[in-house]
Amino acid sequence: MKFSLNPITAKKLRRFRQIRRGFVSFTILAVLIGLSLIAEVLVNSRALIVRFEGKWYFPTYGAIIPGRTFGLDYDYATNFRELQARLEKEPERGWVLMPPVPYDPIENCYPGEFFRPRAPSFAERHFLGTDQLNRDVLARVVYGFRNALIFAGCYIVLTYLIGVSLGCSMGYFGGRLDLFGQRLIEIWSQVPFFFVVIIVASIVSGLGGMNLGWLLGVVVLFSWTSITWYMRSVTYKEKARDYVHAAEVIGAGNTRIIFSHVLPNVISTLVTFAPFSVAAAISALTALDFLGYGLPPPTPSWGELLRQGTSNLSAPWIVASAFGALMLVLVLVTFIGEAVREAFDPKKFTIYR
Amino acid sequence: MNSVASDTILEIENLRVHFPVRRGFFVQRAAGTVKAVDGVSFTVGRGEVLGLVGESGCGKSTLARTIVQLVPATSGSIRIEGRDLTTLRGREQRTLRTQVQMVFQDPYASLNPRMTVADTLAEPLLVHGRASRADAAAQVAELMERVGLAPRLARKYPHEFSGGQRQRIAIARALALRPRLVIADEPVSALDVSIQAQILNLLASLVREMGLSMLFIAHDLSVVKHISDRIAVMYLGKVVELGTAADVIERPSHPYTRALISAIPSPDPARERSRQRMVLPGDPPSPIDPPPGCAFHPRCRWAVETCRGQVPPLEKSSDGRHVACIRTADIED
Repeated sequence: MKFSLNPITAKKLRRFRQIRRGFVSFTILAVLIGLSLIAEVLVNSRALIVRFEGKWYFPTYGAIIPGRTFGLDYDYATNFRELQARLEKEPERGWVLMPPVPYDPIENCYPGEFFRPRAPSFAERHFLGTDQLNRDVLARVVYGFRNALIFAGCYIVLTYLIGVSLGCSMGYFGGRLDLFGQRLIEIWSQVPFFFVVIIVASIVSGLGGMNLGWLLGVVVLFSWTSITWYMRSVTYKEKARDYVHAAEVIGAGNTRIIFSHVLPNVISTLVTFAPFSVAAAISALTALDFLGYGLPPPTPSWGELLRQGTSNLSAPWIVASAFGALMLVLVLVTFIGEAVREAFDPKKFTIYR
Repeated sequence: MNSVASDTILEIENLRVHFPVRRGFFVQRAAGTVKAVDGVSFTVGRGEVLGLVGESGCGKSTLARTIVQLVPATSGSIRIEGRDLTTLRGREQRTLRTQVQMVFQDPYASLNPRMTVADTLAEPLLVHGRASRADAAAQVAELMERVGLAPRLARKYPHEFSGGQRQRIAIARALALRPRLVIADEPVSALDVSIQAQILNLLASLVREMGLSMLFIAHDLSVVKHISDRIAVMYLGKVVELGTAADVIERPSHPYTRALISAIPSPDPARERSRQRMVLPGDPPSPIDPPPGCAFHPRCRWAVETCRGQVPPLEKSSDGRHVACIRTADIED
């Protein structure tokens, strides 16, 4: 099938581009997401390139390279910062190129030393300082961003999958399914979300540990209702339109009507929810991490960083970094959401008349 | 044109479509019934156009939607070429349904805004396996030419067309499966007056050239009289008069038909000035709670006591038409 953009969609995209604030936010966020995908190249304790005794090494991805490879006296993973320092003294043996931030998010950068937050320092390449466990804050912010994005991405896919399929069937088929579905949603959405998550998280932690899957499952379990509700009502409305009747008269089956008539006409409005869902997912994850019911340590996360920051206010760089990152992303996402909503405003696009 | 064609395409017998009105939350009980269509019988012959008129809410559209099975019939039968659509299920029903297609009132709402004309017109062919994706294009072009649209517009979307053009697309879609009967539910009332004549002429020529039968629904008699061979007049879910177009228009028999005919403005100023309008008192009664006896009696100036007591049957009168009124003989012209 040939890819072609429906002119209505094309028009909406054009309008989105015209809304400067939203489009600029979108560009910035896209760049940030792009950078986070290659975070290993930018923020990593592994070297980018090592030239050692006539051989090339690219340790960024792949298996760890034991220290002995580079003539060091240990078999565990090479400490490339030490290797770099050593090779600077004997340049004839080779050289090491480190990433701009040569630290890992979970490593203690100063093993053996006293745990204390260190202030930002360009000389030490701790651009945002270190936290109370001698870990680089920038590294934790960057990898925390990536974790939040993975979480938000999975969250959207799952809630939309459930919401669209269940909501659409409720609205389209009606009857018992619709009746019981509505009551289920009404009851389910009254359950206090955070309390349940905290209870589940404490049970799961006791059983053997929280992980991304569990956390996602619990959050999605309480977030599918709004999309389902929305999809139900728009499908219900769309089903009563004459072109759906016309398709029925033609003899089209339910599957065909749903997938080629109802869904294409309702799905575009779902896009307007996506940015706000992302914001909700990131906020929920951060809040849970902040309370200590999120991802287990030492996973880098903004909530955990915020918690550290608030209990170490004498080291303001920790809380400022976490808060700044959170605010930046939420503001960008909200600007995008507003612009998308404006661009998709049906009042500007009379589709039917 | 002939009055009743020898072989019938559509035969409707004693059709009822009732909608229960429910009250109560936990225990739902029937609080009443809307009798949208209440015991309607008529036939449509091969190549015949039957006009169906009546005011808003009299059940015309429900009748149309029941014939194409968008609304289930409560009782009665809808026979298409002798086979009852209401008793068939599954595959057989699907096949029989292709014989009856529908043109909807509002061409702005009846076309999917996200499908090109080509996709819209190819859909019925693909659904019933009448064409592969590859050779649907040729049939689509043929259909478009048939309804007076240039085939080069096939890749355009509905919003790029005018109302009249859209209605042509809707008509082409209805013709795609080569049905025997087309139900046109007020196909011109959403259009400009200047466009109405074009669409009417198109429908008339399609009936002539393709040997179609048509059930043409409108609330405007002047539109119906143009295109119909016979005319049925509906009032509150029942057919009150059925006869040839000439008879019904020139010599209306039922008091309600007389009122409708008297409301048609005449293009001739002299006649228009002398035209006697028969103004009906009151509003059409609620279909939940219709008046006993003849549903028209509260608004009828010829009503007598008997009209309140018994429902007048649709009977064949001396001049060959069917009228549901016991007073026709006593009404002076």
